[in-house]
Amino acid sequence: MALSLLSRSLAGLLVESSSITHQRTFSVSAVAAAIQKMTRVRVVDNSSLGNTPYHRAPRVIHVYTQNGIGKVGDKVLLAIKGQKKKALIVGHKMPGDRMTPRFDSNNVVLIEDNGNPTGTRIKVPIPTHLRKHEGEYSKVLAIASAFV
Amino acid sequence: MRIEKCYFCSGPVYPGHGMMFVRNDCKSFRFCRSKCHKNFKKKRNPRKTRWTKAFRKASGKELTVDNALEFEKRRNMPVKYNRAIWDKTVEAMKRVEEIKRKRQARFIMNRLKKGIQLKKEEDIVEVKKNIHLIKAPHAGKAKQLEAKMVQKLQEDVDMADEDL
Repeated sequence: MALSLLSRSLAGLLVESSSITHQRTFSVSAVAAAIQKMTRVRVVDNSSLGNTPYHRAPRVIHVYTQNGIGKVGDKVLLAIKGQKKKALIVGHKMPGDRMTPRFDSNNVVLIEDNGNPTGTRIKVPIPTHLRKHEGEYSKVLAIASAFV
Repeated sequence: MRIEKCYFCSGPVYPGHGMMFVRNDCKSFRFCRSKCHKNFKKKRNPRKTRWTKAFRKASGKELTVDNALEFEKRRNMPVKYNRAIWDKTVEAMKRVEEIKRKRQARFIMNRLKKGIQLKKEEDIVEVKKNIHLIKAPHAGKAKQLEAKMVQKLQEDVDMADEDL
């Protein structure tokens, strides 16, 4: 009986101490962000809209995914030269899946609403794992000259 | 599937290992592990980092020019598939690998042979310097003196004989 009392008090103490420590700790959720709203991106195709200089860099204003995070292969809405344009993400600075390359800049290819690319050539290397979206982005893959 | 070379240490990068980085000048770098990746980010020169193969080859510590190494160079001409060629190539690869290893080992052995000779010279110098630990300084002097005197006496006797 004494033992059970002891164990109960110990348990009570433990609970109290855990609650105390629980109050002290705070939750840190890793922000798994790659490309989100307001990120400045680099247009890598040879379209005129992407290559003419403007005093403001092209920025993402909407990401077409469930959470607002854009990874390689996601579509985004860009604000370029005062216009809205859709684009496809082809590389980001954030380390992604294993076996996918990491790029030195957030690269993007301008795209129409039906998925056709605006430019005619992409000189920057494109990750090969975009090929699994062969149906949607086949035209973009067709104009890419280097794969990585 | 291809076993790539790490940019920093020149080691093999097997599929599923390592990391790849694409720079904005479209040059891609593969790393076998985070050690090499971190050194690269610190802007270290692999030709000056002593543990890399690049350093060893650049400073002549390993075999650089050899016919066996020519096989590893990348060729940009695709070869038309032919089963016989495929089989022969696999066998040839094994033999070439064997030969290459032997040549590399022999190169390193030859390089290290100099060390044996230097060590011997060093040992001789050391013994001469510390001979007092092995032999007392005036250990055989008395006997030497005696032998000398005996020889001198003998010479005198011989000269006397000649005169006579």
